Amino acid sequence: MSRELATVDEGLRGSSRVYSPGFSSALLAMAYRQVARFLVARSRMANAVIMPVMWLVFFGLGWSAAFSTLRGVERALFGGLEYLEFLAPGIVIMSVFMAGFGSGLGVIWDREFGYLKEVLVSPAPRQALILGRLVGDSVVALVQGLLMAVLVSLVAGWPGTARFLAALAAAYVAALASSSIGTFIALSMRSPEGFHVVINLIMMPMLFISGAFYPIEPLPEWLKALAYINPLYYAVDLSRGLMYGVHSTPLTLDAIGLLAVSAAFIALVVAKFSKTYLA
Amino acid sequence: MSSYAIIAEELRKSFNGFEAVRGVSFKVRYGEVYGFLGPNGAGKTTTLSMLTTMIKPSGGRGIVAGYDVVENPVEVRKRIGVVFQDPTVDRDLTAWQNMMIHASIYGIPRSDAEKRARELLEFVELDKFAHKPLRSYSGGMIRRFEIARALLAEPEVVFMDEPTIGLDPQARAKVWEVIQELKRQGVTVFLTTHYMDEADRLCDRIAVIDHGRIIAEGAPDELKSRVGGDTVYLRAIDSDSAKKLLALVSEYGEAKLAADNVTVVLVASNAPSKIPQIISSAERAGVKIVEARYNRPSLDDVFLLLTGRRLRDEEGDWRIWGRLVRSRLGR
Repeated sequence: MSRELATVDEGLRGSSRVYSPGFSSALLAMAYRQVARFLVARSRMANAVIMPVMWLVFFGLGWSAAFSTLRGVERALFGGLEYLEFLAPGIVIMSVFMAGFGSGLGVIWDREFGYLKEVLVSPAPRQALILGRLVGDSVVALVQGLLMAVLVSLVAGWPGTARFLAALAAAYVAALASSSIGTFIALSMRSPEGFHVVINLIMMPMLFISGAFYPIEPLPEWLKALAYINPLYYAVDLSRGLMYGVHSTPLTLDAIGLLAVSAAFIALVVAKFSKTYLA
Repeated sequence: MSSYAIIAEELRKSFNGFEAVRGVSFKVRYGEVYGFLGPNGAGKTTTLSMLTTMIKPSGGRGIVAGYDVVENPVEVRKRIGVVFQDPTVDRDLTAWQNMMIHASIYGIPRSDAEKRARELLEFVELDKFAHKPLRSYSGGMIRRFEIARALLAEPEVVFMDEPTIGLDPQARAKVWEVIQELKRQGVTVFLTTHYMDEADRLCDRIAVIDHGRIIAEGAPDELKSRVGGDTVYLRAIDSDSAKKLLALVSEYGEAKLAADNVTVVLVASNAPSKIPQIISSAERAGVKIVEARYNRPSLDDVFLLLTGRRLRDEEGDWRIWGRLVRSRLGR
């Protein structure tokens, strides 16, 4: 108590620096974290690759064999492509979408295991923190998409480097869109179980009417209408157009639709996270 | 610029009509270790959460490191380090990765961050485990890591919410060592605890908080001197002799009969010299003392004096006292 307070005061203020976090350093740190977490959690990588591989092998090869008995009709059904070519871009988008959407779960675990507090109590701009997370999650999703893209190209036929890379760019936008959709849903949820329910309730129908497995033109009008509000449809159509040159909606429309959905959900996520207080 | 690290003025917080904090006011000087001592649910964590900008106060003002916690939360966050009650680490990553991410979101340049992270991990004796994932750490190691991480950005004030809760005695002792070293270095620390020994050992000043209000404030010794002396517990053989004993010891200080009706509680200065006197005068009066024991005043007694309740979870039961048997004292 006999300490000279004024001296302590000055001393402390003299010695301690006040750091100011920059937007980009915070964003990169959060992106790095998502990538680093992915690299140590091998099971996540396995999980995100195994499902699409199973679809490719058991669904794709199976139907491909069945359709090939129809000879000429097969190409007519699938816009001039063989079924495996038709399916390949869909499988890539599917793997990216599942990985991105599922990454929302991390938001719930962060709340559960307290890391959210570490982030919220930091002086970094909230927008940077959550955007960094989306960037990291979408990069991770893209890595998985890349693995799948290489695999399906080997099975269905190499589309050429330029087409391959263009399709990958589309896959990245799809990854960003699905990460932000998943994160947006997760931000308003508390339990991982609840999120799994949402995954099954939303993700599966979105996948089925995305045009990844079958063309949507022959569908009844009401299903078609659902497809047209499904961001995944635009992602699949865009990547199929870029990869094999077959699409049912103009590619610019696909691209605009996909970008618009991504931008909208990113904005929603940022707005929601910026308002996060603990109570 | 304020000369206080923390100023709280009538801070209050209600959750759905429940008043968790009912207007607390206090000031913490730079270089001071200030403790919030109180039972679970007293409003300690809520107060800390308001001061660390994690929740918005319902009323009153909080100034931390010169900035208002509501008007300027970002300026406050730049100047504080926080160790929350529950771990806030990424367990899948290593201590080093957690440190570097922390550095980046606090804007610490890489070279400074690496140098300081190395020093701090050494300071909390975790340098050997820097590249191990935190999943492999024990509770005590995680707490020490979190203290080190909270110091990375050279904060002006460090907040710690129940820094040793849930730790085994050895881990507690290590965390205490760390906090005591911070104290020596003049770091300002605000901590909450429901362990009186912890508050006593670590804090320069303590606010005793109960039901959302500060009921006493001061240095541990100041608070303890309010109890007025040592507390002597004398157990008689039955309630009749206890009553006689009560009359007998009243001249030594303030005395009363405990709830069990056989124990006399006496508050007196210098108990060690008074107990033999009491025993011999009781023997002369034909009153048999079965057990005699005394306590130096503890913060627990302070709490008991102020609230009529014990700080620990168990109910106040006079019977649990009295371990010194007559043979050790009387003969």
